[in-house]
This record gives sequence, C-alpha cells and structure tokens, in this order.
Amino acid sequence: MLKRLTGAEILLESLIAEGVDTVFGYPGGQIITVYDKLYGYTDRLRHILVRHEQGAIHAAQGYARATGRPGVVIVTSGPGATNVITGVADAMVDSTPVVVIAGQVGNAMLGTDAFQETDVVGMTGPIDKWTFQIRRPEEVAPAVAKAFHIASTGRPGPVVLDFTRDAQVGIGLFDEYQKCTHIRSYALPAPADEKAIEAAAELIDNAERPFVVFGQGIVLSHAEEQLKAFLKKGGIPAASTMLGLSALPSDFPYYVGMAGMHGNIASNLMTQQCDVLIAVGMRFSDRVTGKPNTYAPKAKIIHIDVDRTEIGKIIPVEVGILGDAAEVLERLTERIRFSFHDEWASLARRYDRVETEKVSEPETAPAEGPIHMGEVVARVAELSGREAIIVTDVGQNQLMGARYSRFAHSRSFISSGGLGTMGFGLPAAIGAKTGAPEREVCLFVGDGGIQMTLQELGTIMQEGTPVKIVLLNNNWLGNVRQWQELFYGERYSQTHLLNPDYSLIAKAYGIRYRCVEDRAELEDALREMLSSKEAYFLDAHVCEMGMVYPMVPGGRRLDEILLNKEEWYRDGK
Amino acid sequence: MENSSMFIISVYSENQVGLLSSISNIFSRRGINIESLTVFPSEFPGIHHFTFRAITTERAAQQVVGFIEKKVEVVRAFCFPDNATSAAEHGILQDYLKNRNQ
Repeated sequence: MLKRLTGAEILLESLIAEGVDTVFGYPGGQIITVYDKLYGYTDRLRHILVRHEQGAIHAAQGYARATGRPGVVIVTSGPGATNVITGVADAMVDSTPVVVIAGQVGNAMLGTDAFQETDVVGMTGPIDKWTFQIRRPEEVAPAVAKAFHIASTGRPGPVVLDFTRDAQVGIGLFDEYQKCTHIRSYALPAPADEKAIEAAAELIDNAERPFVVFGQGIVLSHAEEQLKAFLKKGGIPAASTMLGLSALPSDFPYYVGMAGMHGNIASNLMTQQCDVLIAVGMRFSDRVTGKPNTYAPKAKIIHIDVDRTEIGKIIPVEVGILGDAAEVLERLTERIRFSFHDEWASLARRYDRVETEKVSEPETAPAEGPIHMGEVVARVAELSGREAIIVTDVGQNQLMGARYSRFAHSRSFISSGGLGTMGFGLPAAIGAKTGAPEREVCLFVGDGGIQMTLQELGTIMQEGTPVKIVLLNNNWLGNVRQWQELFYGERYSQTHLLNPDYSLIAKAYGIRYRCVEDRAELEDALREMLSSKEAYFLDAHVCEMGMVYPMVPGGRRLDEILLNKEEWYRDGK
Repeated sequence: MENSSMFIISVYSENQVGLLSSISNIFSRRGINIESLTVFPSEFPGIHHFTFRAITTERAAQQVVGFIEKKVEVVRAFCFPDNATSAAEHGILQDYLKNRNQ
C-alpha cells in the first residue's frame, strides 16, 4: 500500500524490512527527526543508547561479529559522525558489515560551514566500502537497500549514509520495500575459475608438507564445515590468523594454533617449512607474515580470497583463486586425493611440547608470585566450558585472550585485528551480548583500553547488558611497555598509569565488582562472575611486568622466535 | 626496485558525486602524483570515463587499478603503459555492460 511518510519514517520502515531489530546510537540536532519518529517504533526497533558515538559503532561491530548480521548505527552530524570514524576504519580492515546512518545539515546549508556540518562523504570515502549522501526522501529506501546489500555481500564492510535534514523531514511515497540484489557496477563473487582450482588441487596432491593458514574469511563465508572436510581429506595441518580464531574448534585434530607475531610456535615454524601453503580468507597482515620476503620460503602459495586486491598484494602467489571460501573449498575437496601427512603433521606436537614447557605452562599455571594474565584467561576457558564469546580489547589482554582461550563454536572471538583500536573491547562486548543474549560474553580488557571507552559502563547500567568484564590490571600500557623493555632499553616512556579505584567506578554504575589479587581467590571469583545473571566487573590485579611470549619481533622471520627475554628458538634449537 | 614509468589508468564509472575524490585518494595514499587527469562522459550512456596519467611502477599501477575497481560505483578500470592504445577497453566494456545491463 502506498503511504506518504517522512524520510525519517521511510528509514525506520526500511531498516525493519531489512530484518533489523536493534540499533546503536546517540541523538543530536541533525538526526532529531529520526529520533522523533523512532519514538513510535520502539515496539519493533530496540535502540541501545550509548554514551559516545565511538561506543555505538564498536557495539555495532560486536553485534555483527557475534550474529553475522549487519550492525546498525544512528548518529548525528558533525562530531557525531567524526566520532564514528575510528570504528568505520576498524570495520573496513576487519571486514565487518556495519551500516552507519549519520545526520547531516539541510541541503541548502551544505558546504557553508553550518553548525555541526562536516564533510562526511569526503572523510569516510577512503575508509569505508560505500558512502552515499541522501538528499531527498524518495532516495531513502533505495539507499538503505543498497547499503545493506553492499555491507553484507562479497567482502563485507562498513557503509555510511549521510542523511540530510531535507531527506529526513521531507515527505516521500513509500510502497513495498524492495531489497537490492543487483548493482550494475558491483559484481558479486562469481564461481571460481576451474583452471585455478585444478592447478591448486594438483599442487596440493603433489605436496609433501602442505599447510593451511585460514582467516576470518572462513567465518564470513560460513565455510567452517567445508574447511574441516578439506583438511580431513587432504590430511593437512592448519593454523588460524587472530581473526580466524574459533572458525575451527580448538581441539580439532588438524588445528595447530594461531599464526603470527604472538602465535603458536608450531604454526609459525610449519609455515616456514611447508612446501605448499594454502591461504584461505586471510590477507597476509604483517602481524601474520613477519618480514614478507622471508615468509614461507619453501612454499608454493595458493591464495583463496573473495577480494581480488588481496591476491598477490603482499605475498606473490603460485595460484590465486578468486572466490567465496565455502564454494572454493568444497570444489577443491572434491578434486584432491585422500592423503596422509602424519609425520609432517606430528611436528606440531613436538613444537607444542616446547611451547608448553617454555611459555604456556609458566604463564597459565605459575606456582607462586602474582597472578599472570594468561592464567586468568586459561581459567575462564576452563570454567566457561569453551562456550563463551570472548571479546578482547587491544594489547596484551588481546594476545593473552587469543592465545589461551579455547573455542567450541564459530563466531566466538571478537577483537580489533587490523586497526588495533584500543577502547574497542567494552562496547564490542555490549554489542555481542545484545546480539547473542543466550551466550556468555566475556571481555578481556587492560587498564589502558578500558579507560578509552569507560563511559560505556553507563550503557551497561541503563540497558542491563549482562557482560562479564575481566580487567587485566597491571597499571601499565603493557604491550608498549613490553616493546620498551625488549627493544628500547627499558626506557618506559609514558606507559605507566595511575589508575582510578575501579571499585568506586563500578559502584557508581551499579555494576557488581570484585577485586582479585591472590591466586587462591581467582577461581572462586571467576565462578562467581560466570554464574552472575547480571554484569560483573572482575578487577584482576596481575603481574605488573607481564610479557606475552612467544614473540616474533617485528620485521623478523617467523622462525626467529623469542621464548623469553634471553632465549631464542630457531627450529628445534 | 622496479622501474617507474608513465601509466595511463583508465576508469569507467557511474556518475556519482565524490567519486573523483575517493579515486584520487587511492593515488595519494600511495604517494603517487597524478600527472594529468581528464573526466568526460563515455560513449556508454550514464557511464563516465576518467583517465589518469601517473609515473609509477607496474606493480603499484596494477594495485591502484584493483583498489579503484573495488569502489562500488566503478564499473571497470584498466591500466596501460602510456604508449598503448585503448581500443581493447572499448570491446571489454561493451561486453561487460551487455552482460550486466539487464
């Protein structure tokens, strides 16, 4: 039925038609019409009121990563829009589908330096997947439809709709909502090239030491089962990038751990020794490759990715396969022979023994001294039965969270990978819990990062979002301090923090709080936290000088691994 | 180090406000100067044609083309050494639009 609606109402109708039930946002002068109309839609659209627009977009990212559906953000013009910029850049590099609707001044005021006017299109263009300025109410529904189509297809990413006041308040005709399925200049992933698949299968069949490194592409393409089938048939050991974590269960037989700077020894050393490396849905970040021209020196490389620009961007490839991971893996699995590479795959166990003895055991089960970060993460993994969604901030908390968490289900690890945005964790955890209320959501965050978006405790208070916050509190910006200790002669320039009394902060926001300083109390506190039906703030006072090992220092080869401050590990030595 | 030389990067796109700026960002982010630039309606209805000339390496030029093509409104982008003709483009684009213009 044809209805006469304001552009603001058309926006809300379009969101509902796209299946949106939750939006994250913050009102303001140039989006006030949308908020006015939202008043009549609260039965169909849940609005989570954050405390800062950066919180809104990180929450939307957490929501998208936990659910697979685009996160939606509504903010005002000017500062509202500039405050989401960090999150837009973050979502772009981490391929997270997010739709941002930012208010904008009226059409006649554009370009006049009007109050709270800023060039949103110009600013977001280089860091998002698509930007569009909506100037008329009749453009609203098609723009929303395109936005959702673009955000969630191909390699997902953020889109920004710059929604002028004229388009919000003007009246347009709204009929049945038309989803967008076709854009002339935007091609969806096509079936992969048969010749490339054939060439890859031949390389894999002739390999003696094949190795898979997979990334978040597996999760985004829902290719978890296809990956398992491929690894089983080929008998191929596999490592995950940080964003690929949880795509395979941690105890999957062919899984050898995380790759990269603070990854598992087995995955890094096997990367350097393999003769065929199959990279799936990953982008050879420098945090994964170390020095790129020393990466996997013995390997012929097969790269499967949905984004053409990623193939050959960092690492030259023998075979590039442009396509969707699930489709490509399924066809590759059909083509390859059943194989076993038991001797090769068993190398992982040998390296794991070294890592357990030298690094993991001392970190997760120290006999005495202060609580270690890894210990807290490992206890959470045990006590939560691998069921929780683990969200991290950025820094040591993130690396520990990645290294010592254990997963049973996909979409269980949410972290800011490519951009490394401190302050991501707390709002992302709120978004993840909002999207997946049936799952436990546990955040690991440092005392630096939590203070970057600390105000979102107010969102938890108002919305009653039962997230479990584990503050790994060491009074330092730990990861930078670690670099200063190792590479900058222990000159701790501006990394020591004088922290507030977090018990008072938690109290002010009405959030359950407990501080743990003794190992003896840790398990009890974690049990209490995990059994809590409401939000919980666990302030774990951890070893001040804690370090994350193993470590491949930046710009080194992946087989140059620091086990601790003095000891290097180079293939069995 | 690969040698730098003059490349023509030829872009066909939908008519979209702001697109030129986001395409030129792809050059500037990599520190590549645009030596000359023309923008005009192409022989295909509704499709605009940009040609950029820039001094860079073959690898960087290919990468720039890839990133330009990732822009949603860009239909196709090509890159040629400055001495080549663009007759090939015409045929490729004609086929492409025939397939996608339904």
